[in-house]
This record gives sequence, structure tokens and C-alpha cells, in this order.
Amino acid sequence: MMGGIVNTATLTPLTNANRIAIVENNAIKTTLTKARVIRKKPLKLFNLSHKLHKWLMLFIGAQFVIWSVTGAYMVFFDIDYIHGDSLIINHQNKIKSENLAYSSPTLFQQFPRAKNLSVGMLVNREVYRFNIAKQAVIIDAQSGEQLSPLDKNTAITIAKHLYSGDGKVLNAELITSNPHFGLSARHLPVWQVDFDNFASPSLYISVSSGKVVSKRHQLWYLFDWMFRLHIMDYGDDEDVSNWLLFFIASLGFFAVFSGLVLTYFKVIKPKIISRRKSRDSAKKSRRDNSLSFGDKP
Amino acid sequence: MMLWIKKIHKWASLLIGLQILIWLTSGLIFNVIDHKKARGNAYQQTAMAEQPTLVNKTLLPVRSVLKLYPATLELNQVNILSQPYYLLTQQQGLYHHFVNSYHIVNAITGELTLVDEPFAKAIAKATYNGPGDIRSVALITPPIADFLKHKNPSWQINFADDLDTSVYVEQGSGRLVGHSNSDKRFADFFFMLHFMDYGSAGSFNTIQMILFAFISLWLALSGLIWTLHMLRKGQYRLKKF
Repeated sequence: MMGGIVNTATLTPLTNANRIAIVENNAIKTTLTKARVIRKKPLKLFNLSHKLHKWLMLFIGAQFVIWSVTGAYMVFFDIDYIHGDSLIINHQNKIKSENLAYSSPTLFQQFPRAKNLSVGMLVNREVYRFNIAKQAVIIDAQSGEQLSPLDKNTAITIAKHLYSGDGKVLNAELITSNPHFGLSARHLPVWQVDFDNFASPSLYISVSSGKVVSKRHQLWYLFDWMFRLHIMDYGDDEDVSNWLLFFIASLGFFAVFSGLVLTYFKVIKPKIISRRKSRDSAKKSRRDNSLSFGDKP
Repeated sequence: MMLWIKKIHKWASLLIGLQILIWLTSGLIFNVIDHKKARGNAYQQTAMAEQPTLVNKTLLPVRSVLKLYPATLELNQVNILSQPYYLLTQQQGLYHHFVNSYHIVNAITGELTLVDEPFAKAIAKATYNGPGDIRSVALITPPIADFLKHKNPSWQINFADDLDTSVYVEQGSGRLVGHSNSDKRFADFFFMLHFMDYGSAGSFNTIQMILFAFISLWLALSGLIWTLHMLRKGQYRLKKF
């Protein structure tokens, strides 16, 4: 009997303990699974984004550096400056009609096939400009003397008159064929007049019209290279619609998108949580404050 | 040091991350769109028939015209709708689309001509070969949404066609500024986003653009250093992936 009692007595706590242990285990399990269900999705998104961003950027991150450097160059320098607009003085010299001793009817008699007649200034004298077939011609409006094709000295005089800088003329060269890529073939023939200044500016004076048809300095050529790198065009045609750019930019889209997901998890979310915490504690302390205030009547 | 690199990368991404996504998207759109369509010239034709040189004999002597308009910088013989005119430049910009001012004088009668609404309509129609008729006309002072770089007042002639074509004729000179249509506006919208040109400055040298470009430099360079750091620490392992 005694033994039986003892036995049951010793058994009951055991079974109770077992039961408790089982209950506890269940509770732990349920809380664990619940937590996993809640956290599963964001963690997966975070991990996927992390891997995507890390690995994609290993292969195409260099292009992002190129995009940001070339893009920054292009927006930091004023585009009008890059175009060389500041190399030119925009003279507003007026035509004096009394200087047109050689009249336009005489001109049309002498050149019956003249087209697109214009009257303007060449440095400080009035001139007629017109086309015969595709050939441009300049005539002194006072004497009727033909000035085109312009000689080297005239081209230098014109360039000096228009140039806004203080540099000396280094060189003047006649270009009649095979222009370099910064000069359009339709402007030929031209005098290239180089000036001794920062970024080696050049003015291009048309041999047949005496007008500036182009102006270049080194920062323009650099800009051109920046643009090519920006659009990933390693051919000659400055073509934005190339496959390399499509491929890299498409991958880049996913790399950036995954980066934004990381920004959310690593920067935005922690901020929200810490702000919520500080707000809660602020509330609590405010409550405490009001209590202590209430204590002091 | 790496702690700072990571901090810079995170905060820069917070500041300009969305704009980077916009740059990528708009850049991709420039890559895939049809650039011919995006020029907006679907219904444009070269209208100006060349003036026969026989007419030259009937033109007024330029000297008498210039005597009447002494503040002229340049006189150009032009044809508008196959009629000879003298275009007198009164104020000259470096380019046509910069601020300029003109007089137009009939080269046969010497009459001062203004590009009024009917004249602008006729010029626009001569450059248009689409199926639509003129829907509305307005005189627009810059900024002109379809041609932000153009700084001179222009007539906007809208045609009722499938592409919503608008033709712009410069008021001062009667010159065609250009055609625009829904294809061009689509591309222009993404250029606006790519250049962050929210103020319609017609330029990418704006304060916000320079600022964002500056931050993107920091973002890209810190990312580069971070990647190199991970490479050196052996954190790029294939089996982990």
C-alpha cells in the first residue's frame, strides 16, 4: 500500500511536469511558426535584393560610375559654353545704306543667276553675299569687287574681329576636304584659325561667306567623348539605339530597383522604427511628467 | 573608413535613388523608341518652291529699302509662299532660336508685312502634308512647351489629325520653327524627366540637375569602393549565391 502511494505520489509530479513541458513546447512551436510566417516575405525580398544588387553591380557597376562621371561633366559645364558661344562677340553693326554704291540691280545684271541675296557686314564694310548654283560669293558693296574666296589674311582679320578672347592667333589653315569629326562637310572649304588660350579654341571661317560656321575648343571634344561613353556607343555613329546600352541598362534597372529595396530596409525602415520608439518613450515620459505635475498641486 | 563609405552610399541612395530609377527608365526609352518618329516631322514637307531668278529684275533696290530701315544689321532675300520678301534683321542672336527681331518687307512693293494669323496659317499649311485641317491657332510667347529652346514669339497652328500635329511659325520672320506631334511630346516628356527640367528651362544645366549629378557621383564612387572592398575580403563566393 505504502509503496503504491509513494509510487503514485512520485508519479504525479512527473506526469504533471511532462504535461507542462508538452504544453510549453507547443507554445514555443506556435510562436516560432507565427514569427516565421510574418517575417518570411520581407526577409526573402531583402535577401533576393541583396544578392541581386551585390552581384549585378559587380558586373555592371563600372558603367554606373561611367554614367555618373560623364553625366556630371555634361551638366556641370554650361552647354552654351561647350558650344563655344562665349568665344564669339555678337557684333550688332548696322548697315549704312549710303555705302552701297554698287547697287543690287547692277549686281543682278552682272550675276543674273544670283540667288538668296543678302546684305551684311564683313568686319567693318558692307558686302553682298549670294549663291550661284551651290557656290557662295561675296562682293564688296561699295566697289563691286569680288572678295571670295577669302585669303588667309582676311580670314585672320575676321576671326580676330569676332573672337572674344585676348589670345594671339597661333595658326590659320585651309581645310578643303576630309574634315575631322567636329566639323561638318557642308561647311567646307573653311579657314581654321587657332587661338592661344585655355582649351585651344578655334574659329572656322567660311572661305565663301566669311561667316563663322563653327567654333570649337577642347572641352567640346571632351564633351563629345563623354556623350559617347554615356550612351555606350563604341562605334562611330553616335547611336543611342545600340544593343549594348539596351542590355546593360536593362540589367541596370534591376540592379537599381533592388538597391532601392535595400535602401528601404536599411535606411528608411530603421528610421521609422527608431522614430516610433522615441515617440513611444516620449509619450511615456510625457505621461510621467503629467503625473508628476498632478502630484504637485 | 568603410563605415563612412557605407553611410555615404546609403544616404545618397535615399536622396536620389528614385531619380536614378527614372534616369534608367527614361534612358531605356530613348534606347528603344523610333527617333525618326520622335522628331515630330511625320506630316512635314519642304514647301518652299525655289524662286525663279527672272524675278530678280523686278525686285526693289536694297539701298532704298535699307534707307527706310536704318537700324538693320542684315538684309536677306527670302521667299515666303513663293513671294519674294526682304527679311531685315534688327537684333541678331547667335542662333535663329535665340532672341532676334525682324522686319519683313515685300521685295516688290516695299510694303511692311506682318505675319498675322491668316498668313501664319497659310505658311503652316504649305509645310503640312497630313490628313487634318486646321483646328485652332494661337500666338505663343516663350516658353513654347514643344520647342523650349526657341526664344521668339511664334504662331501655333494645330491640325486635327491622328498625331495632334502642331506647326510653329515664327512671328517675326515667318520662318518655320518646326512640327510637333504626340510622338515628339512622348519623347520630350522623358527628356524632361531625364534632364530633370521641371521648370521648362529647355536645358540640363539646372540647379537640381547639378545637385543630383553631384550626389550621384558620391553614390557611384562609394558603391565602387564598397564592391572592391567586398572583393578583397572574399565576400563574392559563388556557392553562397
